[in-house]
Amino acid sequence: MNPKLPVNCPSCENGLAVSQLTCGNCHTSVSGNYPLPLLLLLPEEEQNFILQFFLSSGSLKEMATQMGKSYPTVRNKLDDTIKKINQLKTQTK
Amino acid sequence: MKTILFNPFEKYTENKLFAFGVLITLAGSYLGYLFQGRFDGVVDLHFVPSTTLFEPLIDNLINIVALFLLLFILGKYINNKTRAIDILTPVLIARFPFYLLTFSNYQNYISGVSEKLIASLNLQNKPTELDIATSDMVITLLFALISILFLIWFVILLFNGFKVATNSRGIKNNLLFAGAIILAEILSKIIFIFLN
Repeated sequence: MNPKLPVNCPSCENGLAVSQLTCGNCHTSVSGNYPLPLLLLLPEEEQNFILQFFLSSGSLKEMATQMGKSYPTVRNKLDDTIKKINQLKTQTK
Repeated sequence: MKTILFNPFEKYTENKLFAFGVLITLAGSYLGYLFQGRFDGVVDLHFVPSTTLFEPLIDNLINIVALFLLLFILGKYINNKTRAIDILTPVLIARFPFYLLTFSNYQNYISGVSEKLIASLNLQNKPTELDIATSDMVITLLFALISILFLIWFVILLFNGFKVATNSRGIKNNLLFAGAIILAEILSKIIFIFLN
């Protein structure tokens, strides 16, 4: 099971930031305060949707076929995701 | 099954939906001819003594055009990306319940019962003295109940299709949707008055 990346504080629900990164090979650690990239703030399902959109060269028709959904359903999902990203952009500014 | 009955627009491609919509419009119009049904309004079905082959088809075309125009204008207002085909398919498919209702007039059954009921309504009688057979009353009430359920089915299909086509949300848009159906009904009635 892949552990889910927490993006909000379980205590106060504020957005979390990266404070430590570790090299998997030599175990060198880097500490600091790095904000999470915008895309990682989205739920995993929406991240996968964006990845699929990218891999299908932005063709909503192809995505609709792959997902077994109609074209407007996929377009609505994309519009909702864009709306959400714009909201997150405003919030993180 | 639930998706096919109430929201096929979420899953199936516009080509499949359009083909199915055209097919049921033709079949439904033929059923109207077979069972003497006239679709004289966007949300109407009336049984008449006789119809020609093309009358129910023309009725349906008028209803489809009226409803499509109103919903497409509203769809464009709600979401500029709304495509005409995504509005047309629910308008065509949502009429399916009306086509099924024509079967109730098999061998002039429902119109016969209705005529008997009207004939028994003697204006000189008091309401309590109406000469109506219990079986006729039960059949009429049952038909009324089924008609209401099928009307609800029509609205659910149309609403779900419109929602998928426009990504519409919120009470304001739902009220506008209801208003568009009422306006389409008025528009279709005006066209029918001009044609008759």
